[in-house]
Amino acid sequence: MIILGIETSCDETAASIVRADNGCFQVVSNVVASQVKTHAKYGGVVPEVAARLHIQKILPIIESALENAKVKIENVDCIAVCAGPGLMSSLLIGVETAKTLAMVLHKPLIRTNHIEGHLYSVFAGKNDAEQKIRFPAIALVVSGGHSQIILMKDFLKYKLIGETRDDAAGEAFDKAAKIMDLGYPGGPAISNEADKLDGRTSEFNIKLPRPMLNSDNFNFSFSGLKTAVLYKWRDLKLSLNKKQLERARRELAVEFQNAVVECLVSKTMRAAQANKAKTIVLGGGVSANKALRESLESAVAEELPRAKLLTPLMEMTGDNAAMIAIAGYFHAKGKDFIVPEELTADPNWELVE
Amino acid sequence: MKIITKSEKGTIMQGKKFAARLKGGEVILLVGDLGAGKTTFVKGVAVGFDLRKNITSPTFVIMKIYKISKHLKIKNLIHIDTYRGLDINDLENIGALEYFGRDDCVCFVEWGAGLEDYLRKGKIRMKKIKFNDLDENTREIIIT
Repeated sequence: MIILGIETSCDETAASIVRADNGCFQVVSNVVASQVKTHAKYGGVVPEVAARLHIQKILPIIESALENAKVKIENVDCIAVCAGPGLMSSLLIGVETAKTLAMVLHKPLIRTNHIEGHLYSVFAGKNDAEQKIRFPAIALVVSGGHSQIILMKDFLKYKLIGETRDDAAGEAFDKAAKIMDLGYPGGPAISNEADKLDGRTSEFNIKLPRPMLNSDNFNFSFSGLKTAVLYKWRDLKLSLNKKQLERARRELAVEFQNAVVECLVSKTMRAAQANKAKTIVLGGGVSANKALRESLESAVAEELPRAKLLTPLMEMTGDNAAMIAIAGYFHAKGKDFIVPEELTADPNWELVE
Repeated sequence: MKIITKSEKGTIMQGKKFAARLKGGEVILLVGDLGAGKTTFVKGVAVGFDLRKNITSPTFVIMKIYKISKHLKIKNLIHIDTYRGLDINDLENIGALEYFGRDDCVCFVEWGAGLEDYLRKGKIRMKKIKFNDLDENTREIIIT
């Protein structure tokens, strides 16, 4: 089965051709046009700007996905498009394009959830053996807009069991980076700053809270952490000279990253144990964070040695269309198609059973 | 009106009280720095409307709409965030302006100071709430 995937939920315009045979996936092409540089000057995605850029890029991106894959659009078996959650004005571009293509070419159309795409991103670019997943699985999906723990009892069987009470993890990175004058996007900015710290010894003994770490559920809270960074940084700026401040900022970046990672990993492991998970899945933009990957890896090895951890390839951590096409395959298998006229974008689409 | 709260819980309580005074059709502009308590206040408003849903930051999706079932007149709580420097045109593009001034809606706009002129010209009932962080837990909330 040849699937064309389309993704425009936020600030990446993406198209991909995925070949699926007996539940194994080959990403034949995967084209992503990122707008991150354009949005950097605003410190975040501006919907109107994003939509305009999506319109300019969507057709050339689909064309290059087909070209790179050496596939003619007539030979595509079905079209999968991300219909939410995301920014309404961005989602619309992908959804309307997919609907039009499906109508004109008489191709079956599949609506895919963005979070669902991140769950299956762990299969993209991997060999057949690495694409094996055993259920139940616990998935941590973390990005600029989402921080969720999802229980997967089977393919397409999802239950949301934990989420953020306030800010998403990626949003916390963005806002903390802004407070610390580290630029946008905040994830890589803070991670790079943390890496600059030579030795892990702390000169300034910076401590940040771990919100909800011991709460009896699988939820997160990052808003208070952001406030704590604000006050810590303000105090440091008042009391330190320029040279000291440079070092203190690195220590603060390390501590902030540790705090976020600790909360994410601890809740994921707790959920995995409570649900006797055989697989732990990590996905979403924040899954590119090295500290998060390493920490989750060692927690799984230590606490659930028989479980398998699946993480996406680095190039599949951000938004892409290969993951949308792969998720689309599972819907196509169950003949879960939608009539083009009935498909609408849903910015608040929650992934439920 | 000026209120001092000493904790997150206190800010939520004030949000709850504030909700009881709303009649429908108001646009409330929330002004204050990162971490000053804007979203926390809206959490309290949701409690006031007996909305059993968790209010999360709208920064990423710009606008969230929550259905209210336990109020005679107000049926929707609209939570908007213009943190990224969105202006009135952006809000029109995402359809947010359609909710302004509607009797069955109350709209809370974080970082909304820039909308004052627009609302005044449109004669839309408006309230402004300023959040000042006095120290890590203490907040001064000024409602005008």
